[in-house]
Amino acid sequence: MQRRNFIKNTSLTMAALMVKPSIPLQQDTILGQGNKGYKLDTHWSQADVAKYPVNDCHEMIQDGKGRILLLTNETKNNVIIYDKAGKLLTTWGNEYPGAHGLTLFDENGTEVLFICDNKRHQVIKTTIDGRVLMVLDYPKETGQYTKEEEYIPTETAIAPNGDIYVADGYGKDFIIQYDSKGRYINHFGGRGSEEKHLLNAHGVCLDFRDKDQPNLIVTSRQQNSFKRYQMNGEYIDTISLPGAWVCRPVINGDYLYSAVLQTNARQGQQSGFVTILDKNYKVVSNLAGSVPNYVNGKLDEMYQTVKCFSYPHDVCVDDEQNLYIAQWNSGKVYPYKLSPVIS
Amino acid sequence: MKKIFLAALIFLFFNDCFGQEQFQLAPPMLNYTSTFFKESTAVSLKFAQPGTQIFYTLNKSEPTRQDAAYKNPILIKKPLTALKAKVFGNGFLPSETVQVTFIKDGLKIKSIKQSTANKKFPGNGDATLFDNQGGIEDLHNKNFLGYQNDSVEINVTLEKKQPIHSLLLDFLQDNGSWIFLPQRIQVFYFDNSKNGYEFFGAKEIAPGTIIKGSSTVFEMINTGKKINSNRLRIIIEPLQSIPEGHPGKGTPAWLFIDEIKIY
Repeated sequence: MQRRNFIKNTSLTMAALMVKPSIPLQQDTILGQGNKGYKLDTHWSQADVAKYPVNDCHEMIQDGKGRILLLTNETKNNVIIYDKAGKLLTTWGNEYPGAHGLTLFDENGTEVLFICDNKRHQVIKTTIDGRVLMVLDYPKETGQYTKEEEYIPTETAIAPNGDIYVADGYGKDFIIQYDSKGRYINHFGGRGSEEKHLLNAHGVCLDFRDKDQPNLIVTSRQQNSFKRYQMNGEYIDTISLPGAWVCRPVINGDYLYSAVLQTNARQGQQSGFVTILDKNYKVVSNLAGSVPNYVNGKLDEMYQTVKCFSYPHDVCVDDEQNLYIAQWNSGKVYPYKLSPVIS
Repeated sequence: MKKIFLAALIFLFFNDCFGQEQFQLAPPMLNYTSTFFKESTAVSLKFAQPGTQIFYTLNKSEPTRQDAAYKNPILIKKPLTALKAKVFGNGFLPSETVQVTFIKDGLKIKSIKQSTANKKFPGNGDATLFDNQGGIEDLHNKNFLGYQNDSVEINVTLEKKQPIHSLLLDFLQDNGSWIFLPQRIQVFYFDNSKNGYEFFGAKEIAPGTIIKGSSTVFEMINTGKKINSNRLRIIIEPLQSIPEGHPGKGTPAWLFIDEIKIY
């Protein structure tokens, strides 16, 4: 062996020994079914945990520059901004102790954010870099609330005309509609025994996939379902997702994505997964969950199959169809990334 | 040769940099309406994840890939049958084992009269404790009688006078909901010759550590005696002081019972 080669080999040996593989020759973890299969990466975030800690990772969005924004209730850095490769670009925010809902809206060419803070009992509109533009307090105009503590907003959805729909998912389960200036228009949902009522209205989004009939999709998490309403709040129908504690619906292209916090079968036991529905609200893939099975049009109870997520709380779909999964109460882990695989 | 060695090292190095951890499969789903049955019962298992298979045993041993692979609902006939099931699949660690014991009906019971249960958990009529319905670990199902008493008295009348040697009582353990196993169970039988109740057997249950989640637990009382009677009196003492490590420390626990069997 020539000396030069020997040195090369040694340094490589050293490198290999320094990062001693725990279980060598491992396969990738592939999740999901049909044409919605993904490869899991649990080490996407390159952030230094000592400098940029997270608590619950509640929601994520991608902005127009292609950056990935994470909202956490860690007040050292409520918003962490990454590139798609997981490199931390910047952070902001330390006044959102109950940071929960994060929605992006393109306001005549300028992107703005809506944050739901369930400890402050407020919805806060900010610029993309965190300057506060508007604060919405508890909606006494509805006649349903007597004090701010009754109002615990979890999510917003913004209509093209700027109307703001707020889901009071940990409060009284109303959806409250405001105009773009924050003036109250309407409210609907709330608790009760009818189909139009909600229980844990954790998320809300707008569905424009049917251009002739845009509608609102609202989560009714404890009822394991999404409920559809017309833009004026009139109830349309219920999309039943047996067993699944779905979080907010996220629409991208023809599909609807949602994190399932946990399942009925194993409550309180880190039994979450991610579900994907097609244009007809039919489940087509469960990532780390059971293969969806319809019998006479009725969906079988769904459950976790692979214990790779604990309590997934949101899905963000980027411009390359990668998914980012933010998790609640999961040991303060950074988000995971899932990349599509061709099956 | 040197090249192969080098390539292997590089592979190991990069594999470790980008390799992912191996995940565990979740436990299989078990479908049954009650763990109690008269003649026989069928249990179905499911786990809809391609490339995996459920293996099970009925002899209390830990399931392995060499045991029976689940295909069709499992018919259960034997008096105390412990079903253990586990999922195996390539690329994942095997699941935890799930275990359920199915309990066959005992001597024919004519009636049971018990202390009045808490209004919120009144059970499901007069036959709650001998309707062969239970073993479902949900405190809101109607199988359970819920108590917050110092003691609970249960009087059992059998259809006829006959030899009796043991009892089985099924409880809920849901410490997060302040529901614990009792601390003591005492059993007396009616002795015709003495025209009164005589001691039959007892069981003390030491409060263990706080357990997460919810499960049903059956307690057997094997008296070691064989008496002839048609009436039993059972006195159950709920746990009087919740142990350390629980927000209810030092206060009395709830008692939930859903079934009694006499053998």
